Amino acid sequence: MIVGEQKPITEIIEIIAPYKQLLILGCGTCVKTCFAGGEDEVATLASMIRLAFKKDSKEIKIAEQTVERQCENEFIQEAAQNIAKNDAILSLACGAGVQAIAKRFPKVPVLPGINTTFIGIQEQHGIFTEECQGCGNCGLATFGAICPITRCSKKLLNGPCGGSQNGKCEVNANIECAWQLIIDRLTQLGQLSNLRTYIPPKNWRTSISGGPRKLIREDHII
Amino acid sequence: MSTTEISSEIKLTIYHCNNAFGNDITHNIIDKEKINLKFINMACSSMVKDVFILRAFESGSDGVLVLVCREEGCRYVEGSKRAKKRVERVKKLLDEIKIDPKRLSFFNVSPDNKDATLKIIKEAVINIKNIGPLYSF
Ligand code: SF4
Ligand code: SF4
Repeated sequence: MIVGEQKPITEIIEIIAPYKQLLILGCGTCVKTCFAGGEDEVATLASMIRLAFKKDSKEIKIAEQTVERQCENEFIQEAAQNIAKNDAILSLACGAGVQAIAKRFPKVPVLPGINTTFIGIQEQHGIFTEECQGCGNCGLATFGAICPITRCSKKLLNGPCGGSQNGKCEVNANIECAWQLIIDRLTQLGQLSNLRTYIPPKNWRTSISGGPRKLIREDHII
Repeated sequence: MSTTEISSEIKLTIYHCNNAFGNDITHNIIDKEKINLKFINMACSSMVKDVFILRAFESGSDGVLVLVCREEGCRYVEGSKRAKKRVERVKKLLDEIKIDPKRLSFFNVSPDNKDATLKIIKEAVINIKNIGPLYSF
């Protein structure tokens, strides 16, 4: 899932300042799961904005809607009527969702209400961790399904470095050493010999470093 | 009642767990005092979502009091703990929009000690009266 957190209310109030009629548009998938952009967060944010505006004797009309996914056209279209009725959209989706709305509604300003943070998982209720950086060429088979690109502070592909202590990273003792985790897991799987394979320097052209990426599935294009 | 009197009336919303005290307590309340009390009974205090508290303020409350069972007495195990965390979060949200977080308070109460609950409610009333109306226009 994409993990994100709501922007500070002061920043939100600043970016919505020019508008009198705002639609807060939530997204019911990733950002709902991380408590940043689902129905509850839309309602809470709308209420906070109304209270803050009233306190400053300012007026704003706020509509609220949450679609299942802001990154898919069929769900976006469910919001089309509401989008047309408002001066601007404050999107509580990830950056992809914000841009998906903007592409489809060229005349309506679309503002981000969320800071998109990372691709991750819900480690436990309320704790989210980064697990993948979308490098475009997954090597998890070699690393016992633990990603050193994301979880090793130095992104070492032939780790560990010499600084790991008691399973913790030398960069920050609160970070688990990814290479300790990799070795422990490979040991458990009887695949420690994976480490004998030298991993050559990674070709980062498949990652964001190679510029914006696009995936084309001809078989799905009519 | 004149307009001035109406506008100076303080409104306090009390969200409470159904098991925290019986309905009779609501009849014993300070009716003589100039305060508008609104009791909202919930099946479990953990149902007190952030937005419910904020909407109480939106609909004219000058203060909100959340009364929940003792943590060890919660029938739904973690309801009181959840409610406490929610209230702490909403206090931060209120602070961010420059609404005094002291307008929102939270207490654990016991159905066996109604006097203590009444005292908490009375003190909350005094607290809100001291802070004054949320909007002075
Ligand atoms: S718009 Fe972003 S947050 Fe919403 S479902 Fe798509 S990827 Fe997830
Ligand atoms: S190797 Fe690449 S694709 Fe695989 S988890 Fe790591 S960053 Fe993600």
